[in-house]
Amino acid sequence: MSTVLHWATLIAYVAGGLVSIAYLGKQRAGLYRMGLAVLWVGFGLHSAALAAAWAQDGMLPAANLRQSLDLFSWAIMGAALVVNLRLDLKIMGAVAGPLCALMLLAASVLPKVQGVTSPAFKSLWIVAHVLAIMAGYGLLALTFLGGVLYLLQDHALRAKKLGPVFQRLPSLGRLDSLSHTSLVAGFLLMTIGLITGAVYAQMTLGSYWRWDPKEVWALITWLLYAALLHTRLVQGWRGRRGAWLALAAFAVLVFTFLGAGLLFPGYHSFASLAGFGGATP
Amino acid sequence: MKLVLVGLSHKTAPLAVRECLAPPPEAVGGELERCAALPGVREAFLVSTCNRVEALAVLDDQADPGVVTGWLAADRGVGPDQIEPHLYAHQDLDAVRHLYRVASSLDSLVVGEPQILGQIKEAYRAATEAGTSRAVLNRLLHKTFQVAKRVRSETNIGGAAVSISFAAVELAKKIFDSLEGLTAMVVGAGEMAELALEHLVGQGVSRVLVANRTLDRAVELARPFGGEALELGELPRVLGSVDIVITSTGAMLPVISLEMARQALKKRRGRPLFFIDIAVPRDVAQEVGELDGCYLYDIDDLSSVVEAGKASRAEAAEEAERIVAEEVVKFMAWLKGLEAVPTISALSVKAEHIRTAELNRTLKDLGISDPEQAAALDRLTQALVKKLIHDPIMFVKHASHDKSDDTRREQLALVRRIFNIEENGQD
Repeated sequence: MSTVLHWATLIAYVAGGLVSIAYLGKQRAGLYRMGLAVLWVGFGLHSAALAAAWAQDGMLPAANLRQSLDLFSWAIMGAALVVNLRLDLKIMGAVAGPLCALMLLAASVLPKVQGVTSPAFKSLWIVAHVLAIMAGYGLLALTFLGGVLYLLQDHALRAKKLGPVFQRLPSLGRLDSLSHTSLVAGFLLMTIGLITGAVYAQMTLGSYWRWDPKEVWALITWLLYAALLHTRLVQGWRGRRGAWLALAAFAVLVFTFLGAGLLFPGYHSFASLAGFGGATP
Repeated sequence: MKLVLVGLSHKTAPLAVRECLAPPPEAVGGELERCAALPGVREAFLVSTCNRVEALAVLDDQADPGVVTGWLAADRGVGPDQIEPHLYAHQDLDAVRHLYRVASSLDSLVVGEPQILGQIKEAYRAATEAGTSRAVLNRLLHKTFQVAKRVRSETNIGGAAVSISFAAVELAKKIFDSLEGLTAMVVGAGEMAELALEHLVGQGVSRVLVANRTLDRAVELARPFGGEALELGELPRVLGSVDIVITSTGAMLPVISLEMARQALKKRRGRPLFFIDIAVPRDVAQEVGELDGCYLYDIDDLSSVVEAGKASRAEAAEEAERIVAEEVVKFMAWLKGLEAVPTISALSVKAEHIRTAELNRTLKDLGISDPEQAAALDRLTQALVKKLIHDPIMFVKHASHDKSDDTRREQLALVRRIFNIEENGQD
């Protein structure tokens, strides 16, 4: 069931992305709305697919890289669609659609490592931990996106070559709102995710913090985003400097998500997640 | 007599060259008098805007058109060789067409923008005040105003017109998204600044500041917008609270320095600051545009913003070109007719002179003292002279139509030789 839903989601994301790109070319408002609607449908299918997988496995589908990427893609699409309800960025569908479709496709080709159902994964704490972190990552991906688009638009404004690309990019003010909103919300959720994770570790493993590589990298990421938030709110780094910092922070976030899980052994690593149950040190 | 127009515009010269050539407004009168004093120059007119400098002169036939170029390039702090590659020169028909096109806003950065006509009217006023606009230029300029009006009313060119200030609003929207609640400041209270303010307030700008060299004018401009008037000295203090700055002063040196912008940005805590510099020479130091959070557009940069609307204006422009061509032909006919005027009047004067001399001698010789008889003789001679010179005058008048310049001049010279008329002043 979840496999059918998975492929249906992928089709919807590709279709929604294509319609949104067509909107950028033709500039017809109808296409913009249609693209978003298709993506919303895709997001609904995606949610259903994840729920089905959850029901099937009996635990949150985040046990391996395949499932984690799937979940990350869902979080980005959700964050993009929800944030766009308010900010109405005309370019959102054309970026989020293809991006999430690619992530889903990548997830599809990754090996299916069957996770062992463990009672440790059924706790509400770990559900909160994973979902909060993932939602936070999805929002911070939007901060990254806002930074990239900001730099593009800033460059266009300075180069004074105001061609079709410039016309289709959102205004700096709106991109700044995107960065601001997603950064504040994303940082908050990531913080909640880290706290719930620490509390759960205390409950199951007896200590809040075990210097697991992923924990260390998550801490580095969190500190970077704290710095980003601080410079934005206190020092007013909202222009190019803020955008570059957001890019750097997201690079570290991606490394935390992928690299720290794949390269280093530890109880968060994707390789060992299957056997997680308190057995690993 | 010939018409010579020499100039440069946004199409031929970069801003840096236009800056050098544009005389300060208060110096235009003196420049015109200097030009009119040059050998062979009968009349002179100079229009200088941020996008163009055009010098128009009426010269004697044998005068060298190069004097106009020399005059335009003299005393500008740069060698003529640096300016000349950017100059264009038109004569007679082409000069008239160029002036018509400029006034009809066909040659503008933003085709159809309405300000150029006002600027030409202003320049014409300066020329009449300096006494350098006489018969030919008076007629030409008045015709020019009519042509521009005709183009505006008979074509759709003004309807599609996007003024520089409108382009500025579009850009500001790409930076701030919406202009609701923003603060705008104009520095220098010109007509352009007024227009820009109108646009900005229409788009939702809520607070308006007007800074000017003379406070009176600032107050006057700020009043209709409920704005605050400032002196230029207050700029550093207020710059931090302003989002959009439009500068259009006639100052020769930048009024907004790099340091001023840097201080303002610090106060703004990352909120962007948008400068639109429509002044020539520029009012905002160029380096300001490189600061993080500062966007600086000068008058040339704005051109790319308005590229978009060009296609829709192309059709209207075509129609306008037709009107211009039609009017050029009409004016040239008048101008050619004007060449015959001195010959005609000289002929009439000579005939009248001979008539009165001969009449007086006859009256004296015959001893006629009866006023009735004298009046009869007067009528007789008048009729004789009138009938005799009627055909030559008609020949001269027709000679000015539908003939090449050379044929026309030869025929006029022949008539003058036949009647032994000296070439004299033509006005």
